[in-house]
Amino acid sequence: MVMSENGQLYTIEGIAAALILLVTAFIVVNSTSVYTQGDTHINDMQLELLGSDALSMLNTAPNSSFGKSPLQTIVETDDSALFRTLFLNTINNTTGPGGDRIQYKANVTYVDKDGFVSTLPLSDSPHPFVGGEHAVRVSQWVIVEKRFPDCSAGSCSGKHAVLVEVLLWRD
Amino acid sequence: MAGLRDDAQWIVLMGFIVSFSLFFVAIVINQSTVVGQTTAEAVIEFPKNDIRGMRDMIIQSEFLVDEGVFNNKTNVQNDIKTLSLHRQNSVVSFSSRNPTGSDPHTYIEIHYSNGVTAYNETWRSN
Repeated sequence: MVMSENGQLYTIEGIAAALILLVTAFIVVNSTSVYTQGDTHINDMQLELLGSDALSMLNTAPNSSFGKSPLQTIVETDDSALFRTLFLNTINNTTGPGGDRIQYKANVTYVDKDGFVSTLPLSDSPHPFVGGEHAVRVSQWVIVEKRFPDCSAGSCSGKHAVLVEVLLWRD
Repeated sequence: MAGLRDDAQWIVLMGFIVSFSLFFVAIVINQSTVVGQTTAEAVIEFPKNDIRGMRDMIIQSEFLVDEGVFNNKTNVQNDIKTLSLHRQNSVVSFSSRNPTGSDPHTYIEIHYSNGVTAYNETWRSN
């Protein structure tokens, strides 16, 4: 071996540095975007489950009787205030002091007697929906003894299925 | 290793190990957010609550009756199909078979499809 062996350690260091640079470049180029907590939709998933459970609770008759559920009564009588009280109490309940800051906007979607689908506002929370919120949508089927939109003739009544849809977002 | 000072080899080795393990940890952390995202998106995209609601309504509607001027059963079943199509982007169809002399059960065939997820069931009363 006439070759000089002087720079072995420097050579190894150089190769290691090159590898680190390559890996760094790979990670940077490979990540097309930076994910933050808000991008991962984990909060959306939790909000959707919460809202859907709250609506299910509202649509359960007291003591599992055969009577009308609170939601059924609210839709039939268009009781915006009662829906607000019950729904906000349910979704904003926390174990700690103070409540959560979830806001909502609820609509009723129905099929009218000519077969057209329309939507009526049912209730909303103190902070109005302006469109910039990052909202999720949950819905609940209800059978009501009312023909939407309001119809007084006898043959207009009977049972109909309507869909209560709620937009939920956290302020 | 002629002519090379080998006093600090241990420190240099430690330097390599620490720097490579930092990179490894960075890659793991980088992946963890993506894993959380795909899980959450999968949960959101699967129409669990839509299917539950639609199934529950169809079974309830089967036991309504058309009485007098009120076509309760017909109306509710038509409402389910129309509203599913308009508001939940899903095609719902169902049919039922009433109890016969030898078989005291009611059967309902339920089909649901939103183009991505399909759900089929033959429900039997008990």
